Amino acid sequence: MAQAQNEFSVVGKRIPRIDAYERVTGQAQYTGDIQLPGMFYARVLRSPHPHATIVSIDTSKAEKLPGVKAVIHHGNAKIPWSSGGHTHPRFIFNNPVRFVGDPVAAVAATDRHIAEEALGLIDVRYEKIPHVLDPNEALKPDAPKISTDGNLSVGKGNFSAPIEESWGDLEQGFKEADRVFEDTYITKHTNNAQLERRVSVAKWDAGKLTVFASTQGVSNARTDIAKDFALPLSKVRVVSKYMGGGFGNKNQAQDYDYMAVVLAKATSQPVKLEFTREDDYIGMHGRWASEQKYKIGVKKDGTITAVQLDAVTNIGAYRKQSGNLSGTDFYQIPNFRKVIKPVHTNTVVGANYRAPAYPQSVFGFASFLDQIAYELGINPVDMFMRNRIQKYKSKLPFSSNYLEECIIEGSKRIGWNEKWHKPGATGDVKKHGIGMALGGYTFRPGLGEATNRLNPDGTAHVLVGVTDIGTGAKSTMAIIAAEALGIPLNQIQLTNGDTDVTPYSVGESGSRTTPFTGPAVIAAAEDVRRQVFALAAGQLKAKPEELDLRDGQVFAKSNPAQKLALGRVVSRAGEIIGRATTNRSFKDVEGKSFAAHFAEVEVDSWTGHVKITRYVAAHDSGTIINRLPAESQIKGGVVQGIGMAFTEELITDRVTATPINPNYRDAKVPTHLEAPEVEVIFIEHPDPYGPFGGKVVGEPPITPSVATIANAIFNATGKRIKELPITPDKILLARQV
Amino acid sequence: MKSFENIDARSVKEAVSLLQKFQQQKKVAAVVGGGSEYLQLMKDQVMTPDYVINLKTIPGLNAIREERGGFRIGALATLAEIEEHSVLREKLLILSDAAGEAASPQIRNAGTIAGNICQRPFCWYFRSSHFNCLRKGGQVCYTVTGDGRFHAILGGGASYIVHPSDTAPALVALGAQIKIAGPAGEKTMPLEKFFVLPSVDFKRENVLNPGEIVTEIYVPIPKPGSKGFYHKVRERLAWDHAIVSVATVVQSSGGVVREARVVLGGVAPIPWRAAGAEEFLRGKKLDEANAQKAGEIALEGAKPLKDNVYKIAMAKLLVQRGLLASV
Amino acid sequence: MEDAKSGRSISRRGFLKGLGGGAIGTAVITTGLVNSDAAAAYSPEAVGTGRGKSTISLKVNGKSYRVEVEHRNTLAEVLRDQLGLTGTKIGCDRGECGACTVMIDGRNFYSCSQLAVWMQGKEILTIEGLAKGDKLDPLQEAFIEHDGPQCGFCTSGQIMSGKALLLKNSQPTEAQARRALSGNLCRCGNYNREVAAVLAAATKAG
Repeated sequence: MAQAQNEFSVVGKRIPRIDAYERVTGQAQYTGDIQLPGMFYARVLRSPHPHATIVSIDTSKAEKLPGVKAVIHHGNAKIPWSSGGHTHPRFIFNNPVRFVGDPVAAVAATDRHIAEEALGLIDVRYEKIPHVLDPNEALKPDAPKISTDGNLSVGKGNFSAPIEESWGDLEQGFKEADRVFEDTYITKHTNNAQLERRVSVAKWDAGKLTVFASTQGVSNARTDIAKDFALPLSKVRVVSKYMGGGFGNKNQAQDYDYMAVVLAKATSQPVKLEFTREDDYIGMHGRWASEQKYKIGVKKDGTITAVQLDAVTNIGAYRKQSGNLSGTDFYQIPNFRKVIKPVHTNTVVGANYRAPAYPQSVFGFASFLDQIAYELGINPVDMFMRNRIQKYKSKLPFSSNYLEECIIEGSKRIGWNEKWHKPGATGDVKKHGIGMALGGYTFRPGLGEATNRLNPDGTAHVLVGVTDIGTGAKSTMAIIAAEALGIPLNQIQLTNGDTDVTPYSVGESGSRTTPFTGPAVIAAAEDVRRQVFALAAGQLKAKPEELDLRDGQVFAKSNPAQKLALGRVVSRAGEIIGRATTNRSFKDVEGKSFAAHFAEVEVDSWTGHVKITRYVAAHDSGTIINRLPAESQIKGGVVQGIGMAFTEELITDRVTATPINPNYRDAKVPTHLEAPEVEVIFIEHPDPYGPFGGKVVGEPPITPSVATIANAIFNATGKRIKELPITPDKILLARQV
Repeated sequence: MKSFENIDARSVKEAVSLLQKFQQQKKVAAVVGGGSEYLQLMKDQVMTPDYVINLKTIPGLNAIREERGGFRIGALATLAEIEEHSVLREKLLILSDAAGEAASPQIRNAGTIAGNICQRPFCWYFRSSHFNCLRKGGQVCYTVTGDGRFHAILGGGASYIVHPSDTAPALVALGAQIKIAGPAGEKTMPLEKFFVLPSVDFKRENVLNPGEIVTEIYVPIPKPGSKGFYHKVRERLAWDHAIVSVATVVQSSGGVVREARVVLGGVAPIPWRAAGAEEFLRGKKLDEANAQKAGEIALEGAKPLKDNVYKIAMAKLLVQRGLLASV
Repeated sequence: MEDAKSGRSISRRGFLKGLGGGAIGTAVITTGLVNSDAAAAYSPEAVGTGRGKSTISLKVNGKSYRVEVEHRNTLAEVLRDQLGLTGTKIGCDRGECGACTVMIDGRNFYSCSQLAVWMQGKEILTIEGLAKGDKLDPLQEAFIEHDGPQCGFCTSGQIMSGKALLLKNSQPTEAQARRALSGNLCRCGNYNREVAAVLAAATKAG
């Protein structure tokens, strides 16, 4: 479907989001805005202990509180939560409890204040078990065991452990090196911290369950709920129309959705379960912390000959996702071996947050490369250019790879050659520096579905299962549909996020929406166009294959002056329905979006405060479907990287194992005043596998951002910081006052 | 939040007598100005009052008036009003800046000067419902064995909180006075006497007794030849407390100090007057060497916790910077 | 004590069994508070007595409402749950994020940190009150044009802070605009766009 960019009528423009109006007027209804008649409010009681057996739960006082309608706990609501843990079984209420924050009970009441008060009236008796907070301690043979199998989180398939991967000949690679370097980099647990706190509204209607969920994946949430409640899929409906962010931790269904479902059944009324901000920080998950030990062999000119990575990731009390580290993906490594141990500890779960395996390990690897460049006396831009990825695992080419151009254009834009100096060279109190790093994210096609309905007036419905956590996915799908159908964008109504109405979607995470569902939207459009042409052929006195549809007009390519309005064609059939399921796969290639980021910083060496004075992000994401939100995604990813680089960390008190900063002020999410102007460069070349040539945009921008900033700080100060976050005290100490 | 009753006070006298009445009835009552901080304390279960006495309904308690030689600032004057007051900004040097550094615009619109001075610590153990710490009536100050990276390096023990206010160090540097109304009538004292070290009483931050309310702050206009400096080192540039802050007011002539006031925030449970540094500076030329020495003296005797050693260097440098900007 | 492995087949259907089970044993009850000697934060007697309720008049977006509220209800709660004005969001309920920002008597406040009972006699403006019928406020139009909302959850708050700014300073600099919005968090990191939208709205109106 290769189409030259200047031939697109809708794709590639700057178009405001199709639902921006609803969002700026306050009319968009998020899950927490839903009010149903007779609805009760629910809250969750959580374990105050990091590891304990529940001896007894006495809910009698709570139940006597006027307004309390139901109290559930492990004794009367033993519901499995399959997607909550992949190595040992996890339930919505577990016994033993395995981290401070593990749910113990839930209450439904007539209002939220009563529900909160009821929590304080539930008497739980615990018997404490020894706990462990540090992953290295947890790996020792005598460590307290968090699952019966121990603390190295061994599961099946995607959840095996250790995670091992290798290619080439590592030993030979190190032999070929002129120099070998070893060092360790450390990153911390940071929370997704999306503005919309978790909330779920569950309602039963004569055996049919509806869950208004704040989820990124209505299809997989429905599958989860049906499986764990042993319900037919036809009796489960999941709806998510507007979401206030998720960044990867709202995919599928979660334990609190299930609690709302149980409470709704117990009370025979709809139940809205709301999280506090503290619940949100500790009750779900955040990015897994890591300790990365690298051994890197290089030639004198900086070419990498071998990389060995031994790492430990802290996935917390339950294994929800992989715990992997993949930051080396953007660098060309001929001989490679990584061994990563995802480890259980009695802490908040570490799972998916925007590009889950990347920013922390790009920080480690790209910082180290930058350090090696310094030791070898090489300019970082040459070091990164020389070692940029060219072949996947040294074997497969990419479907498209313009990383080189990203480096060239980005470095030119920031003025790298004029600004770069030897690290720490400036002697002033306010030190200036410049740094860079490479990143990106996986791009691959997969299973997607779409349905189109053409109305007798020529307008159209496009139905897709996608949700929109802020990426503009709804708009992207509508634009792809408009382009593929040949109908103006304002004549398309996009319906999304309702499993009773919209078809399957993999879930809006892993940057999969555009590559998975995009092709399905295009194929469904083609299905509809075939039907339209079959109907119109007679009237236009041409064969169906000779017809075209543009701007809502049907015509024969050989005689474009004679046009038929689409509505007139459709009304002959009443309504036209088209659908498609697509599941392309790569043939002998791999796919990635690529990025090169550049930052200029000013470091106040007396206070340790760092100001980013310029930031340039160059991205190869194929054809950009809609420029306006795509640029915003890049800028936003960088801001999240700023938070991860400078301030964010969920801090757990060492003695009591209790998180002490589960809120915005203390966990320090970046504000307006932290955000620099981010200059976005799109290097646009269509990818043969993407819809209209588009690759992924959402996750790439966060991946190089932390390393970029860290490398700029090194250039300014001459001191390497190997542990996040780079708070003022670390810069002061690095300065050695 | 636990249920409570809100009472709108119509006068200071009424507020005081209500406080007395509830105390006699063994009920918990608290006065509220802007309310942002107090609501948060209630939601964190640090405070669970039966009665909340709203002071915002008392007319005139937010007035800002210039009188001979100084300004009378009503307890309920908001931080935004102080920040935006052009005459205050011009004449009181650093107070408007300090007020403008507090929290965020929305908080400044609601927050009052008295509330800012009387705010409870933002220590994460104190504010957490999971910890019944020393200050809340428990046995232990958790910063000692736990994470004390933002806590006190001076004046600490047995509790190591830092006073979170921005205006308090500025006001102490300006030599402000505070007026308190209570059952026994009104009294005025220097603001720096208002604060209480934990070594004296670790359960409170100021001298207010039950039934007493702050009604006014009086700030004298600095003497001619005075320059001020306020700076707050912070991790985020909005809605963040000081890691270390400094307020300096220096009266000098021809580069020689006549009188200096140096007050540190973020380092101690009270706004910390660096009296030794002030003494040293008197009569000295304010140059780099003396500014550096003053910084050293200001931090003499600092006793850091295991996690906040960095504050010593940071504070010394900040004092130095502040003094050099005040000449 | 049962571990997770048992019980999968038991009570999925019967999960209602035992709802409301009683206490077992006589050992000392722990509320889970670390080192707590303090009395439990909530005692059943003090709650639900009908104390702390009032009927108040609220003026919102030019319209008067009479509502019965508990004194502990915040303005944000009452706007959303009782008046159906859900455009104002609650992001943290702690006065730390700004999603709940509304205007009260011309200034921007966190509505989660104001009690409803304190609002008597005040003029409240929420996001729903900006548009005049079908005509959007220039700020709203600018937010659409400049891609102000990503997930949209902070958008109402950002716009209300922008509105408060422009009513006081119709031609702000970029730094002034940023500072005026600095009490509004945006986790999507869309800060550049929000500031650009405010500046564009200022240019249009001015």
